[in-house]
Amino acid sequence: MIMDSNNQEEKPSLVNQVLEKIKSGQIKIRPKIYFILKTILIIGGVLGFGVLVIFLISFIRFHLRASGIWYLPGFGFRGLGIYLKLLPWFLIFICLLLILILEILAKRFSFVWRRPIFYSLLAIILIALIGGFIIEKTPLHPNLLLQAREGRLPFAGPMYRDFGMPSFKDVQRGVVEEVIENGFKIRTFDDQLLTIVLIRDMRFPFKEEIKQGDSVVVMGEREDDTVRAFGIRKIEDYFRTFERFPRRPGR
Amino acid sequence: MREEISHQNVQKDEEIAYLVQSGKVEFFGILIERYEEKIKRYARKFLADHEDINDTLQDIFLKAYENIESFDRKRKFSTWLYRISHNELINALKKKKKSLPLFDLDVFLPISLHDRTLVENIDKKEIGQIINQCLDKLTPKYREPIILYYFENLTYQEIADVLEIPLSTVGIRIKRAKEKMKKICEELEYKL
Repeated sequence: MIMDSNNQEEKPSLVNQVLEKIKSGQIKIRPKIYFILKTILIIGGVLGFGVLVIFLISFIRFHLRASGIWYLPGFGFRGLGIYLKLLPWFLIFICLLLILILEILAKRFSFVWRRPIFYSLLAIILIALIGGFIIEKTPLHPNLLLQAREGRLPFAGPMYRDFGMPSFKDVQRGVVEEVIENGFKIRTFDDQLLTIVLIRDMRFPFKEEIKQGDSVVVMGEREDDTVRAFGIRKIEDYFRTFERFPRRPGR
Repeated sequence: MREEISHQNVQKDEEIAYLVQSGKVEFFGILIERYEEKIKRYARKFLADHEDINDTLQDIFLKAYENIESFDRKRKFSTWLYRISHNELINALKKKKKSLPLFDLDVFLPISLHDRTLVENIDKKEIGQIINQCLDKLTPKYREPIILYYFENLTYQEIADVLEIPLSTVGIRIKRAKEKMKKICEELEYKL
């Protein structure tokens, strides 16, 4: 026992205080399984958030390519401006948040915190981007979009319906149905028939001839079903690659 | 019983920790006796209030006992205990709204280790006496590695393990802390 000089009261030593609490059962040793489960939970969290961020990145790229936004920077500064405006910022923010959570979880492991955050963050971002781009090359998203449209996708249906293939005022994506005198007509993926009118000062005239059946992205001002095109670009037919793109009946 | 046990001073901390893990609770008393003064000295550098220090000290050892199964005998017990102390001191500082910054550029960027030798060449005892008097003026981020290195005699690697930061960051923090200390000491008319 020691004497506290401040209040002149006898206080038990630290050893006695701690052992007292241990013996009275106030403090118990956490079993080894607690720490094992904790580690498993962290690994599970890293894998879970990792899969989620890869899925979201692949979805963002799918959304950009399917809607035609992906091709806008090719239309110069004006295209770049519209591109930045139309980027799915909310999804990008969610991805950044998930990457931050991943970094925090990964830092629980010594092989991560022993190196500067710069490296681990870079590794997470690279893995997420490469993984996302690989997944985007598979038929996963077109298939899920198809299921969402048919109402067979309960968990991410609204996300696919909202982001999957939206129509924007400034950018249109579709397949050429008919070539007319001053432009052509395209069928969009949401089954609208739009007349594309080529304006004289179009900065990016297509180098190749546009013919029926070509997939194109058109940047321009839309009024009702007519689009005054500032830029046109012939693109690969993204959805034909997967052969399961939903074709509407009667078309 | 504990008197008998305390005679077994020859035993390493890690072996005693293993005995506690095996259910021999009373051996934990030896570890407290061995580290009470060291951890108290460490805590004093962050907390001024006598009651706060004692409460935190008790929390540290209770936490150590509670988590003793997570201690890996292949590692040093002292480093493990200082890690727990570091976490508890952060909690204590948070309560006093003096928490450490959330983001730290020192940990973010890769830094060269070459500055380390500069610090090691200085007489640790001599510098320790002076910096003790200027230490309070340093922020906890720089104060902690200085304390662990000059007062607790931990190696760079051990400090890295306690603070869970890269080894190079330990070097740069000690170097920067020393520069800041120099300024502070000059203001207080000490020569460093």
